[in-house]
Amino acid sequence: MVKMSLDPVQVISGQVEELKVAPSSNGDSRGSWEEKEKFDQDLLGLSGKPKPPKPENAVTIAVSSRVLFRTELEQKVYEQKGVEEYLRYQIEHENEPFTPGPAFPFVKALETVNARLRDLYPQSEELFDIVLVTYNHAHVGIRLINTINHHNLFIERFCMTGGSSPIGYLKAWHTNLYLSADADKVREALAEGIAAATMFMSEKLTEVSQTQLRVAFDGDAVLFSDESERIFKAHGLDKFFEHERENEDTLLDHGPLKGFLEALGKLQKKFYAKGHRLDCPIRTYLVTARSAASSGIRALKTLRAWGLEIDEALFLAGAPKGPMLEKIRPHIYFDDQMFHVEGAAEMGTIAAHVPYGIAQKHNTKKNTSGGK
Amino acid sequence: MVTVNRLENSPVKNLQSFSMVSTVQNTDVKQKDADRAVVVAVTSRAVFESGAEDSDGVHGAGIAFPLLQAFQRVNERLLEENPAESLLFDVVLITTDSQQQQQSSRIISSTRQHGLEVSRLCFSSEEDFIESLLKNNVQLFLSTDRNETSQASQKGVLSALLDETAASCPSEQLRVLFCGDAVIRPDAGPTSASKRAAQSFSAQLGEMRRRFGVLDSPLSITLMTSGGGRESCGGALRTLRSLGVSADEAYCLAGAPRGPILSLLRHHFLLSDGLGAVED
Repeated sequence: MVKMSLDPVQVISGQVEELKVAPSSNGDSRGSWEEKEKFDQDLLGLSGKPKPPKPENAVTIAVSSRVLFRTELEQKVYEQKGVEEYLRYQIEHENEPFTPGPAFPFVKALETVNARLRDLYPQSEELFDIVLVTYNHAHVGIRLINTINHHNLFIERFCMTGGSSPIGYLKAWHTNLYLSADADKVREALAEGIAAATMFMSEKLTEVSQTQLRVAFDGDAVLFSDESERIFKAHGLDKFFEHERENEDTLLDHGPLKGFLEALGKLQKKFYAKGHRLDCPIRTYLVTARSAASSGIRALKTLRAWGLEIDEALFLAGAPKGPMLEKIRPHIYFDDQMFHVEGAAEMGTIAAHVPYGIAQKHNTKKNTSGGK
Repeated sequence: MVTVNRLENSPVKNLQSFSMVSTVQNTDVKQKDADRAVVVAVTSRAVFESGAEDSDGVHGAGIAFPLLQAFQRVNERLLEENPAESLLFDVVLITTDSQQQQQSSRIISSTRQHGLEVSRLCFSSEEDFIESLLKNNVQLFLSTDRNETSQASQKGVLSALLDETAASCPSEQLRVLFCGDAVIRPDAGPTSASKRAAQSFSAQLGEMRRRFGVLDSPLSITLMTSGGGRESCGGALRTLRSLGVSADEAYCLAGAPRGPILSLLRHHFLLSDGLGAVED
């Protein structure tokens, strides 16, 4: 229990701005700031932890409980026995933390970047802010909090909507990226202009870097619009090449994840500014079926015109993406086609589906959906 | 038919010459069990739009109208579950406005006209309304007037401020928001009458909530913590649980601006530590 001696409303509205937080991650560092920091943070019930940034300043990543943690067992209870039994089960197992889910390595990597950012820019609020946004009822709250504690995650904000749509809350948090297991909610978010992707639990997971956040993107219908893909689907490969060549100097329209790449780029520049270009803890990849010699040029020109740098562009000219991704080992890979997402997952890559654009009419398998 | 207690004949004139509270029972409505019912007092100023009357002199619906309908809905559903249920909301209308007091008969007829399940109508002066609350064993006082809620709070009556958001809330579900930062923590400072009132009301609310399932409940309880991090919210969840309250929804803001989230919650009223709605 946190004992608060002041009316918290007065503290928050007037004085939070004044709180200076010493650089630390999970309260490890000690120094002359310690006492003041402890006093101030006690008021917020955040002893020894850095203060969460204002949503409009941060890069906000909203994750649902089903992608952050593994909840298959609980999902089964919900599907087979209904919501009352599901909640009873959750409360009964409250002190058993969930195990990591598909978004877990990504979230851990975000925290690593935050630690480095806090070292370099102690006063800055330009950080990743991870918010748990779940359909779950608040009955699951204590188990989720226990789990976050157990894994030592820095998640201080959450919304448990008890069945209501999370979309309004995503907007209120200025969400830059929303990850969920439910394709319908992801589609809803995309329709509202929020970058979003569906994640799936795969049995095989290769190890990812502990020191560098790696994010990989497909090109068409992810970073770029699906305009070219439409041509390909309607008129075939030759027409696609012809169209791309003719329009080489015309910028592609933006896709749903462009904004997120932009947000990553802004944070990367902060590391470059302090001389950390070579060992930047954020690395981005474009993994596209376009070919370097032809259709890829339009993609690169578009990125350049947008002022976006991507660290590595891999033009596969139609070759399978799996082996390339296996080499990159991203913490997350975004693709609009389930075919590629599944292919990647088979090789142990953490892949997320962006249900956007023309490819959705040609999905090979049905997405899993429903529940929380 | 309305019976008048203590006063005879011309109620208006007599009210003005006595500076004391008077209570009118609404015999259209079955009176609740005094021991078990949760008495909620709402000011008539909040329920009826003053000045807006139709040709028959019936007041138009004010901010608190959907709220009253929501209380009624909860009662209906409670009685559906158990026709002998005694843990019900007992809504009392309180009129402190002298102008409205002159129109006491209008208020009474408006109440009946709108079919509001109000068991009693209390008339008192601005100075005496607290007495009215205490006499009627009011457990929750709702008003659009900040001074009134503040005064009532200081005298140990759990109070909450009503604003425009209440007007756009659903009438089929009563939505109560607990602001967890300072609410009902048993060990945070001396237990004042105000805190006791909050705990007692919360416990009753929790018991009512338990009468219904997770889904399709006419009563929804939301917890929000503004300042503290997840531990603070976890603590508030546990405190609520110790009072027998299971929250349906929970929001932990950890310092993020409250406005955008509050506008999404669609709560009828907000309870903090009994001091009325906390300012943004």
